[in-house]
Amino acid sequence: MIAVVLKLIVHRLLAAVPILLVVSALLFCVLRLLPVDPAAMSLPPNATIVEIEAKRRDMGLDRPLPQQYLIWLRGALHGDFGRSIALRREAGSLVAATLPATIQLAVAAMVIAAALGVGGGLLLFHLRDTLFETIADLTSIALLSIPEFLWGLILLFVFGVVLDLLPFTGAVAPGLPQPQITGFLLLDSLLAGRFDVFVSACRHLILPAAALGLAFSPAIMRVLRSSLFDVYHEDYIAQARLRGLSESRILLRHALKNAALPTLTLAGVQFGILFSGTLLVEVIYSYPGMGNLMVDAVRNVDLPLIQAIGLTYCVVVLLINTAVDSLYVVLNPKLRVQ
Amino acid sequence: MTIKLQRRAFLQMAVSTAAGIGASVPFARAVTAGNDAATLGWPNDIPSWDPNQRFTPDAQPIFKAVFDQPLDQDPQLKLIPKLIKNWNLAPDAMSMAVELRDDVTFHNGDPMTTEDFRYTFFERIKSGIKLDTANSWKKVQDIVIESPTKATMKFDSPAPTAPQWMAFLGSYIVPKKYIESGGLDNFLKQPVGTGPYKLVEYELNSRIVLERNDKYWGPKPKVGHITIQIIKDPSARVAAIQSGEVDCTINVPVREVERFGKLAGFAAELNPITRVVLLQVRADLAFADQNVRLAAHHAIDKAALSRAFYGGAAVPLSVVATPGTPAYLTDFTFKYDPALAKELLAKSNFGPSNPVKIGLASTNGQFPSDYDIARAIVQMWKQVGIEADLQVIEYAKYFELNRGSKLPEATLYSWDNATGDPEIFAGYLLNPKLPFSAWKDETVGQKVLKLFNVADYNERIAGYRELNRFAVEQGATIPLLQSVLTIVRKKDLGYNKYGNGWLLPQTLQWS
Repeated sequence: MIAVVLKLIVHRLLAAVPILLVVSALLFCVLRLLPVDPAAMSLPPNATIVEIEAKRRDMGLDRPLPQQYLIWLRGALHGDFGRSIALRREAGSLVAATLPATIQLAVAAMVIAAALGVGGGLLLFHLRDTLFETIADLTSIALLSIPEFLWGLILLFVFGVVLDLLPFTGAVAPGLPQPQITGFLLLDSLLAGRFDVFVSACRHLILPAAALGLAFSPAIMRVLRSSLFDVYHEDYIAQARLRGLSESRILLRHALKNAALPTLTLAGVQFGILFSGTLLVEVIYSYPGMGNLMVDAVRNVDLPLIQAIGLTYCVVVLLINTAVDSLYVVLNPKLRVQ
Repeated sequence: MTIKLQRRAFLQMAVSTAAGIGASVPFARAVTAGNDAATLGWPNDIPSWDPNQRFTPDAQPIFKAVFDQPLDQDPQLKLIPKLIKNWNLAPDAMSMAVELRDDVTFHNGDPMTTEDFRYTFFERIKSGIKLDTANSWKKVQDIVIESPTKATMKFDSPAPTAPQWMAFLGSYIVPKKYIESGGLDNFLKQPVGTGPYKLVEYELNSRIVLERNDKYWGPKPKVGHITIQIIKDPSARVAAIQSGEVDCTINVPVREVERFGKLAGFAAELNPITRVVLLQVRADLAFADQNVRLAAHHAIDKAALSRAFYGGAAVPLSVVATPGTPAYLTDFTFKYDPALAKELLAKSNFGPSNPVKIGLASTNGQFPSDYDIARAIVQMWKQVGIEADLQVIEYAKYFELNRGSKLPEATLYSWDNATGDPEIFAGYLLNPKLPFSAWKDETVGQKVLKLFNVADYNERIAGYRELNRFAVEQGATIPLLQSVLTIVRKKDLGYNKYGNGWLLPQTLQWS
């Protein structure tokens, strides 16, 4: 099985190379088509035309677009994504500094989304053919229509202001140190033996992760329920009943395992969307991640930073898809045979 | 490998986690509970820890906590000594002699001398480092050092506002020895200034933690620990002050100021500041016709805009200057008169049935209610016979569009001038050679350019007072409102109110 999975990962990573090239070229061209001049914006407002022209030459903007792309690509391959126009720092280092926080948030959100999605899906299925089915169905549709930023504001208001239970600004309480080992605060605090920092970081993570998780869980709920309906029409479910197995055992041991595969596919896709959904949630909760940085980059039309973040999103989504495909192979024996 | 978790072990783990969580609950509040700590909710992060690099008005109070400027302003905006004890601008404004304090050290213990002064205002700029101060100090031809405390700045052309700029954007003295020996990257990571606070923690887009500089040469801050939480979302800032996560915040919606004003334990203020909201206008396209420009101005009910969007606290302006600043005119009012606007348009054969078509650009979210103000203006103009096509632009693109003559007839704009000096109001906004001005006509332009070279203060101010009136009568600018800064704070946290809106951490004080 390991060989099959490794082969799949290698295939996927090889396929990712042309995808990344196409995405980076598209990103580069689209941003260059915007009616903005990166050279002029890199300089103070009262820079002269001569200074702007010199800067334009310095940035290679006087060359044909394909050549500009190749220069940028060569730099990107060496980890040089150019300098942020607004922050005047290396775009790559800004992304590297903020990416771990966003990954941490997205993973926590996905755990919440999966827990709520699977739990809710089982509940929806359990309520089938009862009076509560319509209510549960409508509730899940209503939840589906609430976007993550609205959840962010609702949770902030309820748990941060009214109940005053959880903090909602930053990644850790003021005054606590932030150990820098891997960049992942939860992990670093444990590695540094700072349990107080770990607990504080967890408390700061709960609301933004819940906001994202709540927004993405209804889709998982509904797909799981549909999959369970399909699975319950299979012969082996009827046979399990004939064998005298309890309904809960049939559901949890037999039906859920098979219904989980389409749900897993959806969760993989959702994770990619969820990752990009961190933008507004990070702003609302002052979470120091890449989404927060991206919002500023867009506001300042900071092209080098937008490119660097855009490409990073693409890489992360491709890696997530590869991981989900691998997991799919692990869980589905049929795919291993094929 | 299978991990077997015993029930007892699980329960122990759960209890210890709960205890940890319980123990940490009061911590966030405890940080700000004492009289020696305060947390501020701030709407923007700083662009960089190099204070000379970018001109960002909102970041100035943070820079002023860590760094010192050569000169300072008092709450009424009068220039006062800071690192410079004495200064003497030559009558021709071609040089300025300065005497620095001799008792100032940087946070790392190095003494601050004229070497640092020369490095900040001359050497760094000439060495090609991309700094915004390169433009504000580009007239500096040399700085001649006479002693560790005495130097003379030499300019290549008159610099009458050099003293004002010593207390303005980006003019902070940075440590030459520390930057040159440790490198700029090290300075950006561990900035060292001479200010009343030292930086102890910085997390991009999240938090700045400052600690009192106990060796500060000036008055020591009353609050020893300042945490600045970067909270960009206005609703989140409101929630943060209401829940007690922060002790004070700025730039909250006006309606929230009104609500907090009624809540026990909070003080809420709408403070008019030295920031103007205006329409930057062009001298060509449909606005080549002076009747149309003046009609556009007469048609705007500024008091109504103030009531609708700033709770009536924003003072309607007739000139590009704020009340209390040197070139503000108390005896001149450009009246709201839609009938007169119609008359003026009729002279140019326009009217409600045959409207003149213009473009109006506005940012959306750059300053409070900007886009809503623009929409209201479009409606006011429609009443008299001006049909405006409203378009949203990014603030970052303003200069580029202006440089390429791509701005429409009018652009809603906000202009900050912490000094209150008229050169940095009308001078910059109407100087055809500067990128801030959309107005490129020479009639007004020549008057402005002359004033840039007037060295005598009284003559210069008199000139700007005359210019302010002339520019408005010509329709070269349409001033709208004096902007306001909204502040909500805990009632027992006091601060010094500055006319330019600075909320300085070093002035905070618990009662």
